[in-house]
Formats: sequence, structure tokens, C-alpha cells
Amino acid sequence: MSEKRPFTRPIASDWWAHPPYRAYTVRELSGVAVAVYGAVLFVGLVSLWRGPDSYGAFLRFLKSPVSILLNLVLLAAVLYHVVTWFQILPKTMPKLIVDGKQVPQARITTLVLRAVGFGAVCLVLLTIGFAR
Amino acid sequence: MSEAAGRAAPEKRSISPIFWLLFGAGGMLAAVFGPALILITDLLAPTGIGLPENFEDYSHALAFAKNPIGKLVVLAVISLFFWHGAERLYLTLKDMKARPLLVLKFGTYGVAAAVTLATFALLLSIGF
Repeated sequence: MSEKRPFTRPIASDWWAHPPYRAYTVRELSGVAVAVYGAVLFVGLVSLWRGPDSYGAFLRFLKSPVSILLNLVLLAAVLYHVVTWFQILPKTMPKLIVDGKQVPQARITTLVLRAVGFGAVCLVLLTIGFAR
Repeated sequence: MSEAAGRAAPEKRSISPIFWLLFGAGGMLAAVFGPALILITDLLAPTGIGLPENFEDYSHALAFAKNPIGKLVVLAVISLFFWHGAERLYLTLKDMKARPLLVLKFGTYGVAAAVTLATFALLLSIGF
């Protein structure tokens, strides 16, 4: 027979706004920025489906300062997502052993970030090259 | 890895792994292609920096959406990005003790599901 002795340590309701949890909150919300970009594309798809006039209005919105500012914020947030995502990666995979030595987690993050960064730069440059 | 006891008494299975899978796929897609996509579609193309004015005009965008591979790209990016954001927003709001959970689920996973279905329908309606 076990007697239930519930004790819940009190915690401030705004715990997520203060260190060390704030970093966690910011990281999670950077994932929401990913969805916001998805929403921009979704609005574009709906306007494309509605026709040239509607799509023209969408393009005019993309050219507006509000959109440029929004997308600069989205870009910064998604870049933060990229870095934190690959910081998590080594924690979610089996130990990587090369030549009998475990590869440090920070090393895996650095190598993957370099590869992904190189790939992204190539993608942008190739797009610019082919669109000429 | 799984214990014999676990096999003997099959428990009620959680559907959470489905959401983790969608969350992980969206997170990886965003981590690999997200910044380049935002830069190309929302910053360089509209401002004409490096890309021609007609890069994403009506006819180009329509041709992309009519192409089967283009359709797959659009569906994957829009829906998986929404599922990724939904998982993170739901768990964060839950940890912030926002309630009721049913409303949170509709506002996150529900929105992602609705957008996925709508994207699928729009792409079909646009045709091939």
C-alpha cells in the first residue's frame, strides 16, 4: 500500500520568460516562425488559385516594406532554428565513434552546420545563375 | 530492447509518434532549405536583387504549381512547416499552463491539418 503524498513545488507562472528557460522558449517559438513562412506560401497559393488579379495583389504585398521587414524577422528566426536544430541533432542520435574515439557533440553540430550552410549558399547562387 | 512484459500486455498505443514524425520532418526541411527559401521567394525575388522581375510572376508560379514535382514541393513545404510549428506551439503553450488543451489542439494541430487538406485541394484544383 502506498500512500499518496502529493507535493508540487510552486513555480512562477512566467517561468518561461526568465533564464535559463528563456532560451528554451525562444527556440520553441523560432519553430513557429517556420510555420509563419508556411502561411505566407499558403496565402500565395490561395491567391494563385483565385487568379492573376489576386496573385498580383499578393506580389504587391511581398514588395511592401511591411513584408520585407516581416521576412527579415522570419529569416533571422529560421536561422536561429537552423543552429538550434543541429545543436539538438547529436543529442538525438547514437554516439558517433571514429577511430575508437567518440566525436564530440559540438563537433558534429559544427560540421553539419557548415555542410548545410554551404548547401544553402549553393542553392541561392544556382537559382540566381539559372534565372538569368 | 522491448521487454517481454511489454509484449505480453499490449497497452493502449499513443498516436504521438505520428506528430513527432511530422514535427521532425518539418524541422529538418526548414533547417536545410528554410533560410534559402525565404531569401529567394520573399526577399530577393520581390526586390529584384539578383533575380529577374518575372521570377515568380503569375505564369511562372502557375507553371510551378501545375508541375507534379512542383506540387509535391509546395505540399511538403507548406504542410510540414505548419506541422512543425504546431507541435512546438502546442507543447510550449501547454508548458505555459495555457488551457483548455482541446482548444490548444484545435488551434495548433487542427490548423496544420486544415492547411494540409486545403493545400492538397488547391493543388488538385489548379490542375496539371
